[in-house]
Amino acid sequence: MADSEFLFNMDHGYLEGLCRGFRSGILTQGDYLNLVQCETLEDLKLHLQSTDYGTFLQNEPSPLQVATIDDKLREKLVIEFQHLRNHSLAPLSQFMDYITYSYMIDNIILLITGTLHQRAISELLPKCHPLGSFEQMASISIASTPAELYNAVLVDTPLAPFFVECISEQDMDEMNIELIRNTLYKAYLESFYNFCQNIGGATAEVMGQILSFEADRRCFIITINSFGTELSKDDRAKLYPRCGKLYPDGLVKLAKADDYDQVQNVAQYYGEYRNIFDNVGNGPSEKTLEDRFFEHEVKLNVLAFQQQFHFGVFYSWLKLKEQESRNVVWIAECIAQRNRGKIDNYVPIF
Amino acid sequence: MSGKDRISIFPSRMNLTMMKGRLKGAHKGHSLLKKKADALTLRFRAILKKIIDTKLLVGDIMKEASYSLAEAKFAAGDFTQVVLEKVESARTKIRTGKDNVAGVQLPNFEPFSEGVDSNELTGLSRGGQQVAHAREVYGKAVKLLIDLASMQTAFIVLDEAIKVTNRRVNAIEHVIIPRIENTISYITTELDERDREEFYRLKKIQEKKKKLKAAKELELKSLGINEDDAKNILEDNKDEDVIF
Repeated sequence: MADSEFLFNMDHGYLEGLCRGFRSGILTQGDYLNLVQCETLEDLKLHLQSTDYGTFLQNEPSPLQVATIDDKLREKLVIEFQHLRNHSLAPLSQFMDYITYSYMIDNIILLITGTLHQRAISELLPKCHPLGSFEQMASISIASTPAELYNAVLVDTPLAPFFVECISEQDMDEMNIELIRNTLYKAYLESFYNFCQNIGGATAEVMGQILSFEADRRCFIITINSFGTELSKDDRAKLYPRCGKLYPDGLVKLAKADDYDQVQNVAQYYGEYRNIFDNVGNGPSEKTLEDRFFEHEVKLNVLAFQQQFHFGVFYSWLKLKEQESRNVVWIAECIAQRNRGKIDNYVPIF
Repeated sequence: MSGKDRISIFPSRMNLTMMKGRLKGAHKGHSLLKKKADALTLRFRAILKKIIDTKLLVGDIMKEASYSLAEAKFAAGDFTQVVLEKVESARTKIRTGKDNVAGVQLPNFEPFSEGVDSNELTGLSRGGQQVAHAREVYGKAVKLLIDLASMQTAFIVLDEAIKVTNRRVNAIEHVIIPRIENTISYITTELDERDREEFYRLKKIQEKKKKLKAAKELELKSLGINEDDAKNILEDNKDEDVIF
Protein backbone atom coordinates (compact mmCIF):
# COMPACT_ATOMS: atom_id res chain seq x y z
CA MET A 1 0.00 0.00 0.00
CA ALA A 2 1.50 3.32 -1.01
CA ASP A 3 0.26 5.21 2.01
CA SER A 4 1.46 2.67 4.51
CA GLU A 5 4.52 4.81 5.10
CA PHE A 6 2.48 7.88 6.07
CA LEU A 7 0.31 5.97 8.52
CA PHE A 8 3.03 3.75 9.91
CA ASN A 9 3.97 5.95 12.87
CA MET A 10 0.38 6.01 14.11
CA ASP A 11 0.38 2.40 15.12
CA HIS A 12 3.97 1.33 15.16
CA GLY A 13 6.14 4.40 15.50
CA TYR A 14 6.83 4.09 19.21
CA LEU A 15 7.79 0.46 18.88
CA GLU A 16 10.04 1.12 15.91
CA GLY A 17 11.78 3.79 17.96
CA LEU A 18 12.19 1.37 20.85
CA CYS A 19 13.54 -1.29 18.50
CA ARG A 20 16.07 1.12 17.04
CA GLY A 21 17.13 1.98 20.57
CA PHE A 22 17.74 -1.70 21.26
CA ARG A 23 19.64 -1.98 18.02
CA SER A 24 22.09 0.71 19.02
CA GLY A 25 22.92 -1.31 22.11
CA ILE A 26 24.25 -4.20 20.07
CA LEU A 27 27.91 -4.92 20.80
CA THR A 28 30.39 -3.25 18.47
CA GLN A 29 33.73 -4.45 17.19
CA GLY A 30 35.45 -2.59 20.02
CA ASP A 31 33.39 -4.47 22.58
CA TYR A 32 34.28 -7.77 20.95
CA LEU A 33 37.99 -6.90 20.99
CA ASN A 34 37.69 -6.27 24.71
CA LEU A 35 35.86 -9.52 25.31
CA VAL A 36 38.35 -11.54 23.30
CA GLN A 37 41.15 -10.32 25.55
CA CYS A 38 39.51 -11.49 28.77
CA GLU A 39 41.32 -14.20 30.67
CA THR A 40 38.47 -15.49 32.78
CA LEU A 41 34.71 -15.45 32.74
CA GLU A 42 34.72 -12.91 35.56
CA ASP A 43 36.59 -10.50 33.29
CA LEU A 44 33.96 -11.13 30.63
CA LYS A 45 31.21 -10.27 33.10
CA LEU A 46 33.04 -7.06 34.00
CA HIS A 47 33.32 -5.99 30.38
CA LEU A 48 29.67 -6.79 29.70
CA GLN A 49 28.70 -4.47 32.53
CA SER A 50 29.88 -1.46 30.56
CA THR A 51 27.69 -2.36 27.60
CA ASP A 52 23.94 -2.32 27.17
CA TYR A 53 23.76 -5.54 29.14
CA GLY A 54 24.62 -3.85 32.36
CA THR A 55 24.40 -5.88 35.51
CA PHE A 56 22.41 -8.81 34.16
CA LEU A 57 24.90 -11.30 35.60
CA GLN A 58 25.06 -9.60 38.95
CA ASN A 59 23.17 -12.11 41.01
CA GLU A 60 24.78 -15.25 39.72
CA PRO A 61 26.85 -17.25 42.18
CA SER A 62 30.48 -17.67 41.28
CA PRO A 63 32.10 -19.61 39.68
CA LEU A 64 30.34 -18.37 36.60
CA GLN A 65 29.48 -20.95 33.96
CA VAL A 66 28.96 -20.61 30.24
CA ALA A 67 25.50 -22.16 30.40
CA THR A 68 24.42 -19.47 32.90
CA ILE A 69 25.66 -16.72 30.60
CA ASP A 70 23.75 -18.31 27.72
CA ASP A 71 20.53 -18.50 29.76
CA LYS A 72 20.78 -14.93 30.98
CA LEU A 73 21.45 -13.54 27.50
CA ARG A 74 18.40 -15.36 26.20
CA GLU A 75 16.28 -14.16 29.13
CA LYS A 76 17.11 -10.53 28.43
CA LEU A 77 16.29 -10.96 24.76
CA VAL A 78 12.98 -12.67 25.54
CA ILE A 79 11.93 -9.92 27.95
CA GLU A 80 12.64 -7.21 25.37
CA PHE A 81 10.86 -9.08 22.58
CA GLN A 82 7.81 -9.78 24.68
CA HIS A 83 7.61 -6.15 25.72
CA LEU A 84 7.53 -5.16 22.06
CA ARG A 85 5.01 -7.86 21.24
CA ASN A 86 2.69 -6.90 24.06
CA HIS A 87 2.49 -3.32 22.89
CA SER A 88 2.04 -4.09 19.21
CA LEU A 89 -1.03 -3.80 17.02
CA ALA A 90 -2.03 -5.69 13.92
CA PRO A 91 -0.44 -6.28 11.52
CA LEU A 92 2.76 -5.90 13.53
CA SER A 93 1.45 -8.30 16.16
CA GLN A 94 0.79 -10.92 13.51
CA PHE A 95 4.25 -10.31 12.10
CA MET A 96 5.85 -10.85 15.48
CA ASP A 97 3.78 -13.98 16.00
CA TYR A 98 5.14 -15.31 12.73
CA ILE A 99 8.62 -14.75 14.07
CA THR A 100 7.83 -16.86 17.11
CA TYR A 101 6.51 -19.76 15.04
CA SER A 102 10.02 -20.93 14.23
CA TYR A 103 10.76 -21.34 17.94
CA MET A 104 7.45 -23.08 18.37
CA ILE A 105 8.42 -25.59 15.73
CA ASP A 106 11.62 -26.40 17.66
CA ASN A 107 9.71 -26.72 20.91
CA ILE A 108 7.11 -29.02 19.39
CA ILE A 109 9.78 -31.27 17.92
CA LEU A 110 11.47 -31.47 21.30
CA LEU A 111 8.20 -32.27 23.06
CA ILE A 112 7.20 -34.90 20.50
CA THR A 113 10.58 -36.61 20.80
CA GLY A 114 10.46 -36.53 24.56
CA THR A 115 6.89 -37.80 24.75
CA LEU A 116 7.58 -40.62 22.35
CA HIS A 117 10.34 -41.81 24.64
CA GLN A 118 8.21 -41.48 27.73
CA ARG A 119 9.95 -38.59 29.38
CA ALA A 120 7.98 -36.60 31.93
CA ILE A 121 6.48 -33.41 30.59
CA SER A 122 7.79 -31.49 33.59
CA GLU A 123 11.34 -32.32 32.52
CA LEU A 124 10.78 -31.19 28.97
CA LEU A 125 9.01 -27.87 29.54
CA PRO A 126 12.01 -26.00 31.02
CA LYS A 127 14.09 -27.03 28.02
CA CYS A 128 11.76 -25.32 25.56
CA HIS A 129 12.59 -21.95 24.10
CA PRO A 130 10.52 -19.30 25.90
CA LEU A 131 9.77 -17.35 22.72
CA GLY A 132 8.06 -20.38 21.29
CA SER A 133 5.70 -21.26 24.05
CA PHE A 134 2.02 -21.73 23.38
CA GLU A 135 -0.92 -22.57 25.60
CA GLN A 136 -1.31 -26.18 24.67
CA MET A 137 2.22 -27.08 25.62
CA ALA A 138 1.45 -28.73 28.91
CA SER A 139 -1.19 -30.96 27.38
CA ILE A 140 1.18 -32.65 24.98
CA SER A 141 1.81 -35.46 27.42
CA ILE A 142 -1.61 -36.96 26.85
CA ALA A 143 -0.63 -38.27 23.45
CA SER A 144 1.57 -41.25 22.87
CA THR A 145 2.06 -41.21 19.11
CA PRO A 146 2.66 -38.26 16.79
CA ALA A 147 -0.66 -38.83 15.00
CA GLU A 148 -2.62 -38.69 18.26
CA LEU A 149 -0.62 -35.65 19.21
CA TYR A 150 -1.65 -33.89 16.04
CA ASN A 151 -5.31 -34.71 16.36
CA ALA A 152 -5.56 -33.79 20.00
CA VAL A 153 -3.23 -30.90 20.50
CA LEU A 154 -1.54 -29.45 17.46
CA VAL A 155 -4.74 -28.85 15.57
CA ASP A 156 -5.49 -25.92 17.86
CA THR A 157 -2.10 -24.28 17.66
CA PRO A 158 -1.18 -21.66 15.10
CA LEU A 159 1.08 -24.25 13.50
CA ALA A 160 -1.82 -26.43 12.34
CA PRO A 161 -1.83 -25.11 8.77
CA PHE A 162 1.83 -26.03 8.36
CA PHE A 163 1.11 -29.60 9.31
CA VAL A 164 -1.85 -29.81 6.98
CA GLU A 165 0.06 -28.62 3.97
CA CYS A 166 2.68 -31.25 3.90
CA ILE A 167 2.30 -34.13 6.30
CA SER A 168 -0.37 -36.78 6.46
CA GLU A 169 -1.21 -38.82 9.52
CA GLN A 170 0.87 -41.86 8.60
CA ASP A 171 3.83 -39.68 7.72
CA MET A 172 3.85 -38.32 11.24
CA ASP A 173 4.30 -41.76 12.68
CA GLU A 174 6.89 -43.01 10.26
CA MET A 175 8.97 -39.99 9.47
CA ASN A 176 12.19 -39.23 11.16
CA ILE A 177 11.68 -36.34 13.56
CA GLU A 178 14.25 -34.20 11.79
CA LEU A 179 12.35 -34.59 8.54
CA ILE A 180 9.15 -33.45 10.26
CA ARG A 181 11.02 -30.44 11.62
CA ASN A 182 12.37 -29.46 8.23
CA THR A 183 9.06 -30.00 6.46
CA LEU A 184 7.30 -27.79 9.01
CA TYR A 185 9.96 -25.16 8.64
CA LYS A 186 9.59 -25.15 4.87
CA ALA A 187 5.84 -24.58 5.15
CA TYR A 188 6.41 -21.89 7.77
CA LEU A 189 8.96 -20.05 5.66
CA GLU A 190 6.76 -20.02 2.57
CA SER A 191 3.78 -18.86 4.62
CA PHE A 192 5.82 -16.07 6.24
CA TYR A 193 7.10 -14.95 2.85
CA ASN A 194 3.57 -14.74 1.44
CA PHE A 195 2.39 -12.82 4.51
CA CYS A 196 5.15 -10.23 4.05
CA GLN A 197 4.38 -9.88 0.36
CA ASN A 198 0.74 -9.24 1.25
CA ILE A 199 1.70 -6.42 3.61
CA GLY A 200 3.50 -4.80 0.70
CA GLY A 201 5.67 -1.70 0.67
CA ALA A 202 9.06 -1.61 2.30
CA THR A 203 8.29 -4.60 4.49
CA ALA A 204 7.74 -6.83 1.47
CA GLU A 205 10.97 -5.63 -0.09
CA VAL A 206 13.18 -5.99 2.95
CA MET A 207 11.69 -9.18 4.33
CA GLY A 208 11.48 -10.67 0.86
CA GLN A 209 15.21 -10.36 0.48
CA ILE A 210 15.95 -11.77 3.91
CA LEU A 211 13.52 -14.66 3.68
CA SER A 212 14.52 -15.69 0.18
CA PHE A 213 18.14 -15.81 1.32
CA GLU A 214 17.09 -17.94 4.27
CA ALA A 215 15.23 -20.30 1.96
CA ASP A 216 18.18 -20.66 -0.42
CA ARG A 217 20.57 -21.11 2.44
CA ARG A 218 18.46 -23.96 3.81
CA CYS A 219 18.37 -25.59 0.39
CA PHE A 220 22.14 -25.51 0.07
CA ILE A 221 22.83 -26.73 3.58
CA ILE A 222 20.24 -29.49 3.51
CA THR A 223 21.71 -30.73 0.23
CA ILE A 224 25.27 -30.70 1.53
CA ASN A 225 24.40 -32.30 4.86
CA SER A 226 22.34 -35.04 3.27
CA PHE A 227 25.29 -36.55 1.37
CA GLY A 228 26.14 -39.86 2.97
CA THR A 229 22.95 -40.18 4.97
CA GLU A 230 19.88 -42.27 4.34
CA LEU A 231 17.95 -39.29 3.02
CA SER A 232 16.86 -39.97 -0.56
CA LYS A 233 16.94 -37.31 -3.25
CA ASP A 234 13.14 -37.19 -3.49
CA ASP A 235 12.72 -36.69 0.23
CA ARG A 236 15.36 -34.05 0.10
CA ALA A 237 13.61 -32.20 -2.69
CA LYS A 238 10.48 -32.06 -0.55
CA LEU A 239 12.36 -30.08 2.07
CA TYR A 240 13.40 -27.19 -0.15
CA PRO A 241 11.42 -24.00 0.55
CA ARG A 242 10.26 -22.46 -2.70
CA CYS A 243 10.39 -18.80 -1.81
CA GLY A 244 14.01 -18.16 -2.71
CA LYS A 245 15.93 -17.19 -5.82
CA LEU A 246 16.74 -20.82 -6.52
CA TYR A 247 13.12 -21.68 -7.33
CA PRO A 248 12.47 -23.35 -9.76
CA ASP A 249 15.62 -24.08 -11.78
CA GLY A 250 18.18 -24.09 -9.02
CA LEU A 251 16.05 -26.40 -6.89
CA VAL A 252 15.75 -28.93 -9.67
CA LYS A 253 19.51 -28.95 -10.12
CA LEU A 254 20.13 -29.17 -6.39
CA ALA A 255 17.76 -32.10 -6.08
CA LYS A 256 19.94 -34.00 -8.54
CA ALA A 257 23.27 -33.08 -6.96
CA ASP A 258 25.45 -35.90 -5.65
CA ASP A 259 28.41 -34.17 -4.12
CA TYR A 260 29.74 -30.86 -2.98
CA ASP A 261 31.19 -29.83 -6.32
CA GLN A 262 27.84 -30.15 -8.06
CA VAL A 263 26.28 -27.96 -5.39
CA GLN A 264 29.00 -25.40 -5.95
CA ASN A 265 28.26 -25.47 -9.68
CA VAL A 266 24.61 -24.63 -9.00
CA ALA A 267 25.75 -21.71 -6.83
CA GLN A 268 27.83 -20.33 -9.69
CA TYR A 269 24.67 -19.30 -11.50
CA TYR A 270 23.68 -16.84 -8.80
CA GLY A 271 25.84 -13.80 -8.15
CA GLU A 272 25.65 -13.53 -4.38
CA TYR A 273 25.96 -17.22 -3.76
CA ARG A 274 28.97 -17.59 -6.00
CA ASN A 275 30.93 -15.30 -3.68
CA ILE A 276 29.87 -17.23 -0.63
CA PHE A 277 31.16 -20.52 -1.98
CA ASP A 278 34.62 -19.14 -2.72
CA ASN A 279 37.44 -19.68 -0.28
CA VAL A 280 35.53 -22.07 1.87
CA GLY A 281 37.44 -24.66 3.84
CA ASN A 282 37.78 -26.45 7.11
CA GLY A 283 41.28 -25.36 8.08
CA PRO A 284 42.05 -23.21 11.09
CA SER A 285 42.25 -19.92 9.22
CA GLU A 286 39.55 -20.56 6.67
CA LYS A 287 35.89 -19.94 7.16
CA THR A 288 33.42 -22.75 6.76
CA LEU A 289 30.37 -22.49 4.56
CA GLU A 290 28.18 -21.99 7.62
CA ASP A 291 30.28 -19.05 8.76
CA ARG A 292 29.94 -17.46 5.34
CA PHE A 293 26.18 -17.87 5.40
CA PHE A 294 26.04 -16.32 8.87
CA GLU A 295 28.04 -13.35 7.67
CA HIS A 296 25.77 -12.79 4.70
CA GLU A 297 22.68 -13.06 6.90
CA VAL A 298 24.13 -10.49 9.29
CA LYS A 299 24.87 -8.16 6.39
CA LEU A 300 21.27 -8.38 5.11
CA ASN A 301 19.90 -7.81 8.61
CA VAL A 302 22.06 -4.73 9.13
CA LEU A 303 20.88 -3.34 5.79
CA ALA A 304 17.26 -3.65 6.96
CA PHE A 305 17.83 -0.77 9.36
CA GLN A 306 18.64 1.59 6.50
CA GLN A 307 14.96 1.92 5.62
CA GLN A 308 12.24 3.25 7.85
CA PHE A 309 8.55 2.50 8.32
CA HIS A 310 8.65 -1.23 7.86
CA PHE A 311 8.44 -4.31 10.07
CA GLY A 312 11.72 -5.76 8.96
CA VAL A 313 13.58 -3.91 11.72
CA PHE A 314 11.95 -6.09 14.36
CA TYR A 315 12.92 -9.31 12.64
CA SER A 316 16.45 -8.09 11.95
CA TRP A 317 16.95 -6.84 15.47
CA LEU A 318 15.93 -10.23 16.90
CA LYS A 319 18.23 -12.15 14.56
CA LEU A 320 21.15 -9.81 15.21
CA LYS A 321 20.69 -10.14 18.97
CA GLU A 322 20.64 -13.89 18.60
CA GLN A 323 23.86 -13.81 16.60
CA GLU A 324 25.37 -11.60 19.27
CA SER A 325 24.36 -14.10 21.98
CA ARG A 326 25.97 -16.87 19.97
CA ASN A 327 29.13 -14.78 19.59
CA VAL A 328 29.36 -14.01 23.30
CA VAL A 329 28.75 -17.65 24.25
CA TRP A 330 31.42 -18.77 21.77
CA ILE A 331 33.97 -16.34 23.20
CA ALA A 332 32.99 -17.44 26.72
CA GLU A 333 33.47 -21.12 25.80
CA CYS A 334 36.89 -20.43 24.29
CA ILE A 335 37.93 -18.61 27.43
CA ALA A 336 36.49 -21.25 29.76
CA GLN A 337 38.13 -24.13 27.89
CA ARG A 338 41.38 -22.18 27.51
CA ASN A 339 41.45 -22.87 23.81
CA ARG A 340 41.87 -19.54 22.14
CA GLY A 341 42.82 -20.83 18.72
CA LYS A 342 39.55 -20.01 17.01
CA ILE A 343 38.32 -17.33 19.37
CA ASP A 344 38.10 -14.84 16.50
CA ASN A 345 35.56 -16.99 14.69
CA TYR A 346 32.64 -14.92 15.93
CA VAL A 347 30.65 -13.07 13.28
CA PRO A 348 31.15 -9.35 13.75
CA ILE A 349 28.00 -7.32 13.38
CA PHE A 350 28.95 -3.66 13.36
CA MET B 1 59.57 -69.34 61.94
CA SER B 2 62.18 -71.23 63.84
CA GLY B 3 65.15 -72.30 61.82
CA LYS B 4 64.98 -75.79 63.23
CA ASP B 5 61.51 -76.33 61.91
CA ARG B 6 61.21 -79.71 60.24
CA ILE B 7 58.61 -82.17 59.16
CA SER B 8 58.15 -84.94 61.67
CA ILE B 9 58.38 -88.27 59.94
CA PHE B 10 60.02 -91.52 60.76
CA PRO B 11 63.71 -91.36 59.81
CA SER B 12 64.08 -94.21 57.37
CA ARG B 13 65.99 -94.54 54.13
CA MET B 14 62.84 -94.62 52.10
CA ASN B 15 61.67 -91.41 53.69
CA LEU B 16 65.05 -89.92 52.96
CA THR B 17 64.71 -90.61 49.26
CA MET B 18 61.18 -89.29 49.38
CA MET B 19 62.37 -86.09 51.04
CA LYS B 20 65.15 -85.69 48.53
CA GLY B 21 62.57 -86.01 45.76
CA ARG B 22 60.44 -83.37 47.42
CA LEU B 23 63.37 -81.02 47.72
CA LYS B 24 64.03 -81.34 44.01
CA GLY B 25 60.35 -80.68 43.32
CA ALA B 26 60.42 -77.60 45.57
CA HIS B 27 63.44 -76.18 43.74
CA LYS B 28 61.78 -76.71 40.36
CA GLY B 29 58.55 -75.17 41.58
CA HIS B 30 60.41 -72.20 42.92
CA SER B 31 62.18 -71.49 39.66
CA LEU B 32 58.95 -71.89 37.65
CA LEU B 33 57.05 -69.55 39.92
CA LYS B 34 59.85 -67.04 39.76
CA LYS B 35 59.64 -67.12 35.97
CA LYS B 36 55.89 -66.56 36.17
CA ALA B 37 56.34 -63.65 38.57
CA ASP B 38 58.92 -62.10 36.24
CA ALA B 39 56.64 -62.45 33.20
CA LEU B 40 53.73 -60.88 35.09
CA THR B 41 55.90 -58.00 36.34
CA LEU B 42 57.11 -57.34 32.80
CA ARG B 43 53.54 -57.19 31.51
CA PHE B 44 52.57 -55.03 34.48
CA ARG B 45 55.19 -52.43 33.69
CA ALA B 46 54.23 -52.37 30.01
CA ILE B 47 50.57 -51.82 30.90
CA LEU B 48 51.51 -49.09 33.37
CA LYS B 49 53.39 -47.20 30.70
CA LYS B 50 50.49 -47.55 28.27
CA ILE B 51 48.01 -46.37 30.91
CA ILE B 52 49.99 -43.20 31.50
CA ASP B 53 50.17 -42.46 27.78
CA THR B 54 46.48 -43.21 27.25
CA LYS B 55 45.42 -41.01 30.16
CA LEU B 56 47.32 -38.08 28.67
CA LEU B 57 45.67 -38.76 25.32
CA VAL B 58 42.23 -38.91 26.95
CA GLY B 59 42.84 -35.52 28.55
CA ASP B 60 43.70 -34.02 25.19
CA ILE B 61 40.86 -35.60 23.34
CA MET B 62 38.23 -34.62 25.91
CA LYS B 63 39.44 -31.06 25.57
CA GLU B 64 39.12 -31.30 21.80
CA ALA B 65 35.69 -32.91 22.14
CA SER B 66 34.28 -30.14 24.36
CA TYR B 67 35.67 -27.60 21.93
CA SER B 68 34.03 -29.30 18.97
CA LEU B 69 30.75 -29.39 20.92
CA ALA B 70 31.02 -25.64 21.50
CA GLU B 71 31.65 -25.12 17.78
CA ALA B 72 28.67 -27.27 16.88
CA LYS B 73 26.45 -25.33 19.29
CA PHE B 74 27.63 -22.09 17.71
CA ALA B 75 26.61 -23.22 14.26
CA ALA B 76 23.57 -25.36 14.95
CA GLY B 77 21.98 -23.85 18.02
CA ASP B 78 21.04 -25.96 21.00
CA PHE B 79 20.60 -29.42 19.52
CA THR B 80 21.70 -31.21 22.68
CA GLN B 81 18.23 -31.48 24.18
CA VAL B 82 16.70 -33.18 21.17
CA VAL B 83 19.62 -35.57 20.91
CA LEU B 84 19.32 -36.50 24.57
CA GLU B 85 15.61 -37.15 24.25
CA LYS B 86 16.00 -39.34 21.19
CA VAL B 87 18.32 -41.88 22.76
CA GLU B 88 16.74 -45.27 23.41
CA SER B 89 19.49 -47.82 23.85
CA ALA B 90 23.23 -47.76 23.71
CA ARG B 91 24.68 -47.92 20.25
CA THR B 92 28.24 -48.69 21.23
CA LYS B 93 28.52 -51.79 23.33
CA ILE B 94 31.50 -53.78 24.56
CA ARG B 95 32.29 -57.44 24.50
CA THR B 96 34.57 -58.92 27.15
CA GLY B 97 37.27 -61.28 26.01
CA LYS B 98 40.05 -62.96 27.92
CA ASP B 99 43.77 -62.66 27.44
CA ASN B 100 46.09 -65.26 28.89
CA VAL B 101 49.36 -63.97 30.30
CA ALA B 102 51.52 -66.57 32.02
CA GLY B 103 48.45 -68.39 33.19
CA VAL B 104 46.61 -65.31 34.41
CA GLN B 105 43.28 -64.53 32.69
CA LEU B 106 43.10 -60.81 31.94
CA PRO B 107 39.75 -59.37 30.87
CA ASN B 108 39.76 -57.03 27.92
CA PHE B 109 36.97 -54.96 26.38
CA GLU B 110 36.28 -54.71 22.73
CA PRO B 111 33.78 -52.18 21.42
CA PHE B 112 31.23 -52.93 18.75
CA SER B 113 28.36 -50.83 17.56
CA GLU B 114 24.92 -52.04 16.80
CA GLY B 115 21.72 -50.38 15.95
CA VAL B 116 20.90 -47.49 13.74
CA ASP B 117 22.02 -43.97 14.45
CA SER B 118 18.75 -42.23 15.16
CA ASN B 119 20.58 -38.92 15.34
CA GLU B 120 21.99 -39.07 11.87
CA LEU B 121 19.98 -36.15 10.51
CA THR B 122 20.63 -33.79 13.42
CA GLY B 123 21.60 -30.37 12.20
CA LEU B 124 20.29 -31.07 8.72
CA SER B 125 19.32 -27.47 8.16
CA ARG B 126 22.19 -25.84 9.97
CA GLY B 127 25.41 -26.85 11.52
CA GLY B 128 25.30 -30.40 10.22
CA GLN B 129 29.00 -30.55 9.47
CA GLN B 130 29.99 -29.30 12.90
CA VAL B 131 27.62 -31.77 14.53
CA ALA B 132 29.13 -34.60 12.50
CA HIS B 133 32.63 -33.48 13.49
CA ALA B 134 31.63 -33.36 17.16
CA ARG B 135 30.13 -36.84 16.83
CA GLU B 136 33.40 -38.13 15.35
CA VAL B 137 35.57 -36.64 18.07
CA TYR B 138 33.36 -37.95 20.86
CA GLY B 139 33.38 -41.38 19.18
CA LYS B 140 37.15 -41.37 19.33
CA ALA B 141 37.03 -40.32 22.95
CA VAL B 142 34.72 -43.23 23.77
CA LYS B 143 37.08 -45.71 22.08
CA LEU B 144 40.01 -44.35 24.05
CA LEU B 145 38.02 -44.59 27.27
CA ILE B 146 37.19 -48.23 26.50
CA ASP B 147 40.89 -48.98 25.96
CA LEU B 148 41.74 -47.23 29.20
CA ALA B 149 39.10 -49.24 31.06
CA SER B 150 40.51 -52.49 29.62
CA MET B 151 43.99 -51.57 30.72
CA GLN B 152 42.98 -50.50 34.19
CA THR B 153 41.10 -53.73 34.91
CA ALA B 154 44.07 -55.71 33.59
CA PHE B 155 46.30 -53.63 35.83
CA ILE B 156 44.28 -54.46 38.93
CA VAL B 157 44.04 -58.18 38.11
CA LEU B 158 47.77 -58.36 37.37
CA ASP B 159 48.56 -56.58 40.60
CA GLU B 160 46.64 -59.21 42.57
CA ALA B 161 48.21 -62.05 40.64
CA ILE B 162 51.73 -60.68 41.14
CA LYS B 163 51.19 -60.30 44.87
CA VAL B 164 49.94 -63.88 45.16
CA THR B 165 52.75 -65.30 43.04
CA ASN B 166 55.43 -63.40 44.95
CA ARG B 167 54.00 -64.58 48.21
CA ARG B 168 54.21 -68.17 47.00
CA VAL B 169 57.79 -67.69 45.73
CA ASN B 170 58.86 -66.27 49.04
CA ALA B 171 57.05 -68.98 50.95
CA ILE B 172 58.82 -71.70 49.00
CA GLU B 173 62.18 -69.99 49.26
CA HIS B 174 62.10 -69.17 52.94
CA VAL B 175 59.84 -71.78 54.47
CA ILE B 176 59.32 -74.92 52.44
CA ILE B 177 62.85 -75.49 51.25
CA PRO B 178 64.57 -74.87 54.60
CA ARG B 179 62.03 -77.15 56.24
CA ILE B 180 62.70 -79.94 53.81
CA GLU B 181 66.43 -79.43 54.12
CA ASN B 182 66.18 -79.58 57.88
CA THR B 183 64.17 -82.76 57.66
CA ILE B 184 66.73 -84.30 55.33
CA SER B 185 69.59 -83.41 57.62
CA TYR B 186 67.68 -84.77 60.58
CA ILE B 187 67.04 -88.06 58.80
CA THR B 188 70.66 -88.36 57.72
CA THR B 189 71.87 -87.70 61.26
CA GLU B 190 69.44 -90.25 62.63
CA LEU B 191 70.48 -92.80 60.06
CA ASP B 192 74.18 -92.18 60.73
CA GLU B 193 73.60 -92.52 64.41
CA ARG B 194 71.76 -95.76 63.91
CA ASP B 195 74.56 -97.04 61.75
CA ARG B 196 77.04 -96.13 64.42
CA GLU B 197 74.95 -97.80 67.06
CA GLU B 198 74.66 -100.90 64.93
CA PHE B 199 78.39 -100.91 64.32
CA TYR B 200 79.11 -100.49 68.02
CA ARG B 201 76.69 -103.30 68.90
CA LEU B 202 78.29 -105.66 66.47
CA LYS B 203 81.71 -104.81 67.70
CA LYS B 204 80.59 -105.46 71.24
CA ILE B 205 79.13 -108.79 70.26
CA GLN B 206 82.35 -109.77 68.55
CA GLU B 207 84.28 -108.88 71.64
CA LYS B 208 81.99 -110.95 73.76
CA LYS B 209 82.32 -113.85 71.40
CA LYS B 210 86.08 -113.60 71.48
CA LYS B 211 86.05 -113.63 75.25
CA LEU B 212 83.77 -116.61 75.32
CA LYS B 213 85.99 -118.43 72.85
CA ALA B 214 89.12 -117.66 74.85
CA ALA B 215 87.50 -118.85 78.04
CA LYS B 216 86.37 -122.04 76.37
CA GLU B 217 89.81 -122.76 75.02
CA LEU B 218 91.26 -122.32 78.45
CA GLU B 219 88.76 -124.75 79.78
CA LEU B 220 89.48 -127.32 77.14
CA LYS B 221 93.18 -126.97 77.67
CA SER B 222 92.79 -127.56 81.35
CA LEU B 223 90.92 -130.74 80.52
CA GLY B 224 93.91 -131.96 78.54
CA ILE B 225 92.43 -131.89 75.13
CA ASN B 226 94.84 -130.62 72.64
CA GLU B 227 93.30 -128.49 70.07
CA ASP B 228 96.17 -129.02 67.73
CA ASP B 229 95.43 -132.75 67.29
CA ALA B 230 93.58 -133.20 64.15
CA LYS B 231 90.39 -134.85 64.66
CA ASN B 232 89.56 -138.16 63.22
CA ILE B 233 86.33 -137.61 61.61
CA LEU B 234 85.67 -141.32 61.15
CA GLU B 235 86.14 -142.04 64.86
CA ASP B 236 84.71 -138.91 66.34
CA ASN B 237 81.11 -138.46 65.32
CA LYS B 238 80.89 -135.31 67.20
CA ASP B 239 81.66 -132.27 65.12
CA GLU B 240 81.98 -128.90 66.69
CA ASP B 241 79.88 -126.23 65.07
CA VAL B 242 81.89 -123.55 63.40
CA ILE B 243 81.03 -120.17 64.90
CA PHE B 244 82.44 -116.94 63.55
